[in-house]
Amino acid sequence: MQRLTVRDSPAPGTRRRPSSSSLLASELKQLFRRRRTQAMLLALAAIPVVIAVVVRVSSAVPPGRGPAFLDRISQNGLFVAVTAMLVSVPLFLPLTIGVVAGDTIAGEAGLGTLRYLLVAPAGRARLLLVKYAGAAVFCISAPLAVALAGAGIGWVLFPVGPVALLSGDLVEPDEALVRMLLIAAYQAVSLLGLSAIGLFLSTLTDVPVGAMAATIVLSVVSQVLDQLPQLEWLHPWLFTHHWFGFADLLRQPIGWDSFGDNALLQAGYIAVFGALAFGRFVSKDVLS
Amino acid sequence: MTATWLRWTPAVAVPAVIAAGVLAGSLPASARDPLPEKTPAQVLAMIGQHQTKSFSGTVEQSSELGLPDVPQVGPTSGAGTGSLAELLTGPHSARVYVDGPTKARIQVMDRMAERDAVRQGNELWLYNSKDNTATHVMLPAASKESRSHDTPAGVATPEELAAKMLDKLDGSTDVAVAEDTEVAGRAAYSLVLTPRSAVTLVGSVAVAVDGENGLPLSVEVRARGQQEPAFRTAFSSLTLGAPDAALFNFAPPPGASVKELAVPAKPNGTTGQADKNRTGKDLADKNPADRNTDHRDLRGHAPTVTGSGWERIVGIPAPSASAPSESRESGKQSVDRLLNDPLLRQATVTVQGGRAISTSLVNVLLTDDGRTFVGSVPLERLQAAAAAR
Repeated sequence: MQRLTVRDSPAPGTRRRPSSSSLLASELKQLFRRRRTQAMLLALAAIPVVIAVVVRVSSAVPPGRGPAFLDRISQNGLFVAVTAMLVSVPLFLPLTIGVVAGDTIAGEAGLGTLRYLLVAPAGRARLLLVKYAGAAVFCISAPLAVALAGAGIGWVLFPVGPVALLSGDLVEPDEALVRMLLIAAYQAVSLLGLSAIGLFLSTLTDVPVGAMAATIVLSVVSQVLDQLPQLEWLHPWLFTHHWFGFADLLRQPIGWDSFGDNALLQAGYIAVFGALAFGRFVSKDVLS
Repeated sequence: MTATWLRWTPAVAVPAVIAAGVLAGSLPASARDPLPEKTPAQVLAMIGQHQTKSFSGTVEQSSELGLPDVPQVGPTSGAGTGSLAELLTGPHSARVYVDGPTKARIQVMDRMAERDAVRQGNELWLYNSKDNTATHVMLPAASKESRSHDTPAGVATPEELAAKMLDKLDGSTDVAVAEDTEVAGRAAYSLVLTPRSAVTLVGSVAVAVDGENGLPLSVEVRARGQQEPAFRTAFSSLTLGAPDAALFNFAPPPGASVKELAVPAKPNGTTGQADKNRTGKDLADKNPADRNTDHRDLRGHAPTVTGSGWERIVGIPAPSASAPSESRESGKQSVDRLLNDPLLRQATVTVQGGRAISTSLVNVLLTDDGRTFVGSVPLERLQAAAAAR
């Protein structure tokens, strides 16, 4: 019931179609005002902080051990952000996306607010789009939270200077920041496919936890399948296949191939699971 | 009910469209004009003549040699220095930039890491981002001299050289031009070398030669009785023209550990000789007895060669106690180093008479008494060669 008061959609009685932008604005307001969303963003921002503090208080890390770039942090604080973004790819980011995307429709259905949303003549397709757009905005903000917190804490605790890329070439800190934002963009694109899957799963059930868990499990399963050499033919089709490809943004010159491949793959997942979610949602009997 | 079906149409149509798109993309573009017919000699001459000195491109390499795979899981960077043999397992992709004979850069793109080799003039830098190490090598200036040796005025033209090479190959190898292929979007001749020997492990070697400029675009080695190519390296994209000159300016990043590596102007003493023998195919054509008389001090140390053509077996004798201790050390070291490579150690199996590393193209037998036999032949042949002495 609390959610109803937060939402400022028009009262069910007025038969005016709310504009898409106002729907999206209210969806975003609802999403980012939730304690859960804020807590997840804070937890993501805590990853680089933990890494930076641990590296600061411990002795030097020998190169080649632990996550890549860990040994570079003490020389250049900007590597905190890169390391944290790298570490959060396999689990932390999909975890938060799974929660947000799995909650989109099932959350409303579980709370019994979905039918009120549909009474307001927003149209089911539009509601689905708005819900997906909200999840997409979260996909952008989650990696950004890691990147900005990482750059910030790295700048506070460590010296910041020209950054050595994977190719061994040096770039100035401002260009390094641009590359970091590019990595965040790459990860946002990577997560869009998973959000579409989460949206579809969310239309299947009235129990949001089920949709969230299923989304997260799928992201893990996909990563496991990507490691099995017997399934090599399947690998290019897995939505997690290019998740670590952002390393190409740290080369000189930047390799854009993986960015393009990843975007194409994610677009395919968005199209397929968006269509599935549409088919399911518009033909669904909304009882709650 | 029709309304329900209508609502599900996108869910059916979208995968269908994607499948159609993928199928259409995988069909070879057949609209291209066929390349003019050429004989094997002409194609070989094209390789010899090609003037493509500046290009940049991406090379994809894949191996199915039967060596164990290096698992790459999680946010760690891929195997970097751990193993050189790692380059022979699994897929690799590298970017290549070449501008003239003295400017080149190769970037092996590992997972979350990169191995670089940059050459500008006589300076060569090797850099590995995984452990942040750089190696600096000053190449001997003598390379200019040797190049001028290659092309004195009265020397054979590429056509003559190609014909000569074909004559030499003919006894052991069938050379043919197969159907045109397409590599990196460029039409290419496909030169196929098939061993006439029934014993060797090598099934065939195919080289794709750019139809326009004669640049070799791909090499594919097939092993007998294996569906997938045992080794394949090919350009996946190729841009002709000089790459950005700044790419060849390399300085190790601060914090990297830098090693200076001196290259002796002349290979010195026994180790150099041994290295040359192991790699130099030309020496194998000589009578091994000649070589032993050439280097009396090395008797019992020079590799021996049995068989010919594709059935050739190279035997490296055990370091004997009478040999100078320096060379024994180096010989022992190189074998030790080979076995210390974690990947090769994993691939070593115990067989009758010693241990063996078996791949689909090459077999290596390390006998119990320290000798090493290498050849593109079944293991039994190596064992027979080892038993013969």
